[in-house]
This record gives sequence, structure tokens and C-alpha cells, in this order.
Amino acid sequence: MERDVSNFSLLVLIVFVMIPFTISYFYQLGLKKDILWSSVRGAVQLFLIGLILTYLFDLPPLIGIPIMLSVMITIATFHARKKGKELPNAFLTILLGLVTIEIFVLGLWLGFDMVSFTPEEIIPMSGMVIGNSMVAMGLSLERMKAEFNTNEGKILAALSLGATPKQASHITVRRTLNAALIPNIDQLKTIGLVQLPGMMTGLILGGVPPIVAIKYQLVISISIFSTVSISAIIVSLVMYRFFYNEKMQLVDFEELKNKNG
Amino acid sequence: MSNHVFELSEVNKRVLQNINLTVNQGGRVMVFGPSGSGKSTLLHLFNRLEDPDSGEIKYQGQPIEDYNIPKLRKDVGLVLQQPYLFSETVIDNLKYGPKMFNEWDEAFVDELLDYVNLPKAYLDKPVEDLSGGEKQRVSLARTLANKPKVLLLDEPTSALDDQNIESIEEDLLKLMDAWQLTIIMVTHNLKQAMRLGTKGIYLESGKIVETGKLPNLIEHPQTDSLKNFTANQ
Repeated sequence: MERDVSNFSLLVLIVFVMIPFTISYFYQLGLKKDILWSSVRGAVQLFLIGLILTYLFDLPPLIGIPIMLSVMITIATFHARKKGKELPNAFLTILLGLVTIEIFVLGLWLGFDMVSFTPEEIIPMSGMVIGNSMVAMGLSLERMKAEFNTNEGKILAALSLGATPKQASHITVRRTLNAALIPNIDQLKTIGLVQLPGMMTGLILGGVPPIVAIKYQLVISISIFSTVSISAIIVSLVMYRFFYNEKMQLVDFEELKNKNG
Repeated sequence: MSNHVFELSEVNKRVLQNINLTVNQGGRVMVFGPSGSGKSTLLHLFNRLEDPDSGEIKYQGQPIEDYNIPKLRKDVGLVLQQPYLFSETVIDNLKYGPKMFNEWDEAFVDELLDYVNLPKAYLDKPVEDLSGGEKQRVSLARTLANKPKVLLLDEPTSALDDQNIESIEEDLLKLMDAWQLTIIMVTHNLKQAMRLGTKGIYLESGKIVETGKLPNLIEHPQTDSLKNFTANQ
């Protein structure tokens, strides 16, 4: 029989929430409202997703999976774009990037029979890939803006010497990629040593033998590793162009901000 | 064919208003005026780091838009106020421009170093180890490595001490004679303008208030604003 957490046990979780709440109260951290709101919001969100997933899992895979993937990609796009609102085409770049990534992993998983085409497998695994890619794209955008800001003088110097935008952005793009990839590589290095990855934990709790759980974990970890890299590359190699106009001139950040709100 | 390297007619760009001016072949034009008067913006227009909002710029008789942009920027070299060196060695900085055009000439290095008064031993030095004056020299040499026909200088000596100023000025004079360079230089130092320039342009609040031959323009200003500006130096 499948194991379940009883409703009473769930209620006991309130104790866990009360600990940071009490700390905030005693030390006057001003976080009480945030703690309560995020706990309630988190719980409600998860239950809602649970209900939606139950509904989607009952639909034929060819209908349920595309619906859920579209929703996930759309939300992820809106979220990642927040980091680069003033940049033109950020939305489109992220959206197309996430779609490409999803097609890429689906091709890999299904093509080599790593995952079966069922909502139970595709949706949570795609969620992990899309979520991680979303974070990577947002970080890359943020990093790229910061790099362009700090290196504006050097970029102007390069342009003034006859560099094309591609040549003038070389160092900026390299640094953005570096910054996005290093934590990703570090994470893969310590996987399983510091904390057991979420998916594996879930499978083991669900009664799957650890070796099988690890195989699944490897599939998802390597997929995330590769898609996060692709995300950073897409953002870096596409977005730097929008810091210039067609006359190979650096676009004014302030002007851009005013134009795109 | 006209003797004009640059011709600006009714150019407007941000603070700059209705700028009309010509720069002759081999001319040594000094642009001066209070800060915020649009001097740097004017230099950016010649190198196309920026384009005017309205008006026309001609380079060697042709609209500036007709030229290939990287090629134009190579021909009309700009030395920025801050050196903004690329964080590698001196030689990497010197090679930067010519390598993009596949025109790097190893034999030219000695001549280049000679013009900017830097010893050959400096070539492999990381730029972080250079003094302010040395950085400015490398920045000048980096632009010269492209063998420009016109040299734009944005207050290249503003952060330097008198000794360094004097020696960079000597380098520039040597260069202008040897290369027949056309120079457009922004400076706040009127004595420097008189030492280096043949033509002066006085800009205030984005407008050309007075222009004329140097040193006459500075010694005998006609307008009250230039009189005030020279009196405050």
C-alpha cells in the first residue's frame, strides 16, 4: 500500500512554521507577516497543483502534457524576464529558449527510453528542468546587465577601435557564461554528498529501491546540468546584441529603461 | 575635391544645438568650454559612437553613413578621457585594433613605442602595473596602432601631472608632423590648446559661441562668455 501523510500530521507542520514565527516575534525581525503569508500561500499553491495534476494525469498524455508544459513555460518566461525588463526581446528570447530546451530534453528522454511519455513522469521532470533553466536565464540576464554596466568604458573603447558588437562583447559574454556555469558545475560535484537530491529522496520515500532512484536522479541531474548551460548560452549569445543598435552603437541603459518601462 | 575632412551642418544631438563646422585636412582643432557643453558628445559623433538626432555629417566629402562603421572608426581614432585598457598586457592592447583588421605589423611596434615614449620592456607588462601616465600612453598607442588618419582626443591629459602633460604634448606634436594627422582635441586647458592647436572652437551649453585661429581666439576673445571663460583659467 502507498504511504500517505495523515491530515493530523500535516497540521503538526504548523509547529514548524511557528518556530521562525516566534523567532521573528522575539527579535522583532518584522518578518511575521511574511512567514505566515508564505507558509499559507505555499501550502495552498501546492494543494492546487496537486488537484490540477490529478486532473491532468487523468487526461490522455497528448492533451495533458502539452497543456501543463505550456503553462509552466509561460509562467517561467514571465518570471525570468523580470530580470531584464528594459531589454528588448527578452521575453521572446526566454520563451523560445525554454521551448527549445524542453524539446531538447523530451527528445533525449523519449528517444533513449529514459522516461515514459506519461504525465506522471514528464510533468515533474520537465518542471525541474524548466524551473532551473528559468533561474539560470534570469541570473544570466542580471549578470549581463551588470557586466555591461561596469565595462561600459572598455566596450566603448573597443567599439571606437573598430570592434563589432560581437568582438566588443567578447569578455562580457565570457564572464556571464562563467558566472552562470560555475555554480552549476559545483552543484554537480557535490551531488549526493551534502544533500540527497529532491527527486531521489521522493522516490526512496515512495518505496523505490535506492539504485533505481539514483538512475532517475542521474537522468534528471544531467538533464538539468545540460539545460542550465544551454540556458546561459542562449541568453548570453542572443541578448548581448540588444545592448547595441544597428549602427554598432551602445544603447543608453537609461534611455532603454524609460522606453520599456 | 574639398580640403575638408569633416563637415557638420545643423547637427543636433542631446545638448548640442545647430552645430556647423568644418575640419580641414591636417588641421589641429581644439574644442574647449565649460563641462556639460557637449564636447565629448561632439567627439563621439566623429567616430560614430553616437549619431546626430538631426543634421548632416560628411567625412571626406561623403555622408558619414556611407562608410563601413568599423573601418571609419579605425580611420577616425578616438582616445577616451579614461584609458579603459583591456585587462591583459600592453602588447595585447596594442594588437587589439590591428588584429581585427588583420593588419598587425610586428615591425611597427618599435615606432609606436617610440612615439608614446614607452620602453620596449613594457610590452609584456600587465596593464594593472602601469601608472596613470603610462596607461594614458598605452591608450594613445592603442589608437595609433590602427594607423588613423584623424585622431580624436578627449582630454587625454586631464588626469596627469605637469611633467606627463608636457611629455605627451611633445609626443603629439611629433606625431602630427610625422603622420600629417588631423587632430580634434577636447581640452579644458587653454594653454594646451594654444600650444597644440591651429583652430579653436569654444562651446557653451551645446552651442558654438566663438571659433577662430589659435592663439588669436584665446588671446583676443570677442564674446563676453569666452572672455569670462579665459579670465577664469
